Amino acid sequence: MLRHYVVLSLKVLLRRKFFTLISIFGVSFTLLVLMVATAILDHKLARMAPETRQDLTLVSAPAQIYGPSSGSCCGGGFRLFDEYAQNLPGAERLSLYTRAGVVYSYVDGRKIDLQMKRTDGEFWKILDFTFLEGRPYTSDEVAQAAFVAVINRTTREKFFTGAAEGNTFEVDAQRFRVIGVVEDVSEFRDVPFADIWTPYTTAKSDTYKTGITGNFNAMILASNAAAMSQIRDEFNARLSRMDRAEFPDPKAYTTIVAPFDTKFETFARSLDVIADRRDPERQGWRLIVAFGSMALLFVLLPTINLVNINTSRILERASEIGIRKAFGASSGALVGQFIIENVILTMAGGLVGLALSLFVLRAINKSGIIAYSQFGLNIRVFGYGLLLALAFGVVSGVYPAWRMSRLHPVEALRGGERR
Amino acid sequence: MTRHLLRLTWNRKGQNCLIVLEILLSFLVLFAVLLFTVNYANNWGRPLGFDVDRVWSIRVRYPTTNTTRAVDADPAETARLSRRFRELFGALSTLSNVEKSAAAFPSVPYLNSTWSTGLGLEGRQVETVANGVTDDFDDVLGVRLLAGRWFSRDDDAAAWQPVVINKRLARELFGDRDPVNQLIPLSDVYIQKHDVLKKPTRVVGVVEDFRHLGEFSMPGNFLFRRLRLDFTDVGTGFSGELSGSHFGGFGPPSVLVIRVTPGTTAGFEETLVKSLQAVAPDWSFDVRPVADMRTDQLRSYITPLALFGTIAGFLLLMVVLGLTGVIWQSVTRRTKEFGLRRAEGASIADVRRQILAEMVLLTSVAVSVGTALLAQLPLLRFSFSANRNAPPPPPEVFAISIVISAAVIYGLTLLCSWYPSRLATRIQPAEALHYE
Repeated sequence: MLRHYVVLSLKVLLRRKFFTLISIFGVSFTLLVLMVATAILDHKLARMAPETRQDLTLVSAPAQIYGPSSGSCCGGGFRLFDEYAQNLPGAERLSLYTRAGVVYSYVDGRKIDLQMKRTDGEFWKILDFTFLEGRPYTSDEVAQAAFVAVINRTTREKFFTGAAEGNTFEVDAQRFRVIGVVEDVSEFRDVPFADIWTPYTTAKSDTYKTGITGNFNAMILASNAAAMSQIRDEFNARLSRMDRAEFPDPKAYTTIVAPFDTKFETFARSLDVIADRRDPERQGWRLIVAFGSMALLFVLLPTINLVNINTSRILERASEIGIRKAFGASSGALVGQFIIENVILTMAGGLVGLALSLFVLRAINKSGIIAYSQFGLNIRVFGYGLLLALAFGVVSGVYPAWRMSRLHPVEALRGGERR
Repeated sequence: MTRHLLRLTWNRKGQNCLIVLEILLSFLVLFAVLLFTVNYANNWGRPLGFDVDRVWSIRVRYPTTNTTRAVDADPAETARLSRRFRELFGALSTLSNVEKSAAAFPSVPYLNSTWSTGLGLEGRQVETVANGVTDDFDDVLGVRLLAGRWFSRDDDAAAWQPVVINKRLARELFGDRDPVNQLIPLSDVYIQKHDVLKKPTRVVGVVEDFRHLGEFSMPGNFLFRRLRLDFTDVGTGFSGELSGSHFGGFGPPSVLVIRVTPGTTAGFEETLVKSLQAVAPDWSFDVRPVADMRTDQLRSYITPLALFGTIAGFLLLMVVLGLTGVIWQSVTRRTKEFGLRRAEGASIADVRRQILAEMVLLTSVAVSVGTALLAQLPLLRFSFSANRNAPPPPPEVFAISIVISAAVIYGLTLLCSWYPSRLATRIQPAEALHYE
């Protein structure tokens, strides 16, 4: 029976080529936009190298420090984590690293701008970088403030021809020796991303060591999944017990919030339009609500457009429906047939959209808008795409199918609509 | 005729309702894109208040445990920082390519950094963007005064804090009175809370505007405060008088601006950084021609709009094709009805007009509902900008956007029904009457 429906719907779709074409155009464009958005989110949030242990990793959110009438934002200091995040129960490793910041280098009168992250040795043990040359620096080298650097592939090409290990280069008036070269990491993966990684002890001044606020982040590898919320709660509790005299301005500030979050939660928190950054509780639900409503708003117009087209198509086939009804087809069977027909249509549109999204994503990668981005379609994104097309097909098919099932056989046979 | 039209439309209310909804949504989508476009276009033509030709910005990063404590609570740190800044200006003055230099906190044009503050007056609060700048800032950026004067050494000994404000803020504070030499009537509560303002604040000059966020940004209130770098010792000058903040109530400069001589090339950048680095080896400097920053910032306005514009364009194309299909089908189904009208003496033009009029009716319903919804937006004072204190677009921008959107939507829906309306009259009445 299903096969019969499929053959029938293909025949119907081919008979009215104009309607089929405009339907497919609408569906494929809609799914193109949704697929590109999905692929970008997947690239931002999914587990992938070097964040292979992401499911067990917690990252600190930018610290918020505030009082009743004033607030300051955006960044924990070295001491916040060095003093308060050590030996959290269930934490296997703790890494401290700065946010990526732009630094400049002048080579033969040419200006090179690079993103630099200063890190500890643990950074390389939690993250799983692909080394093309050499090795990461160790905790010992960090303690000795060795002027060594790990650079990415693109930076190697900017400074050297051929292998870079052992050579030196100057950036921001400091000279580093290349100790390792890693594969480029996308700018969207903000935990590992940088062009150059150096020990944090090579900072130009050691005043960072005294700061409760600053530009440091911390990352914790949990020993197991169950320990993650324990780590989070314990750190929040430690911060709430923190002596107010530690605050940069004890008169003005009363509270500091810097929760350790999962990848998804961190992303939700980073969007200050939707998140309440002063709330130490999880913010992920806000992201789901916000992105969900944006997607729904976006598909509203294409859905109504498709419903209108479908309704027209059905009324045109009134006599066919009348005959089927007169011969005893139930409303349910007709509704099912029409929804299958519509799903086939949206699936076809979905495939076209999927193919188009490949081109769009490749164009974004090539444009360099997002450094080292590798947007693409994988099995997961492909699966989401098919699900979206299916949902779109069912939703836009239900109302017209219901209209169709209500057609009175006699009226329908005369080619009309019962009012 | 009109009643006939209304009844026909009402009879098919099920489907017409969905068509109206589709047109309404298209209208809203088009309006959203047009609102931003019209607003940008409107802002583009307004005075900017500065000239960035040959101006370079040098962002400075200096080591400090954290900005608030180090600067506010530690006068020795303040004195050390201001000495370092004076040395940097000394180094800049020796470079022949540098014509003029100044410092600012927190922003120079196109830096995307804004410090908003609410000035507490008796009974009301006035939101303004505030920027701390040194005495030569107006020369570097070609800021022209409408009235009064810029800051100078003459203000050193003054018993008040000098500020230069823009015309919009002047009007909001003083109405039609001449703002020059007026004291800003801050409330006692506000002065108590911000001990830095224990000196009265006096307006010394008025500028047309200073839209540091660039050509597309909304004009808003702006206030310049005098940034001083001449604290020699702890406890003297400004810093001695003020219990809390230094640098005239702001943080230390975060950015220097210089105007370079004509013909200076990008190659000078390295020399510039080297000579600054020689003075402050533990600091970092980020040099960029402001014209480059301008390009980036304009792009940051245009790119999202272009993206949404493209998506909206495709959505509208989709709607046009969809509606054409729907009307086409509906006209085919009503061939008998049109045949009957022709047989009763209606001309071809009459029938066509009927089809177009039906479409105009549906569009009018959609546009009226849409306009009623959108009219609420200016009332909500939604600011349409990342900076929540930025004023919303003026009502005329809303009005123009609504009018253009409505015109385009009418045009598109008529386009959708034009071809089907021709089809309807192609068949002879006699033929149409027994059309099945």
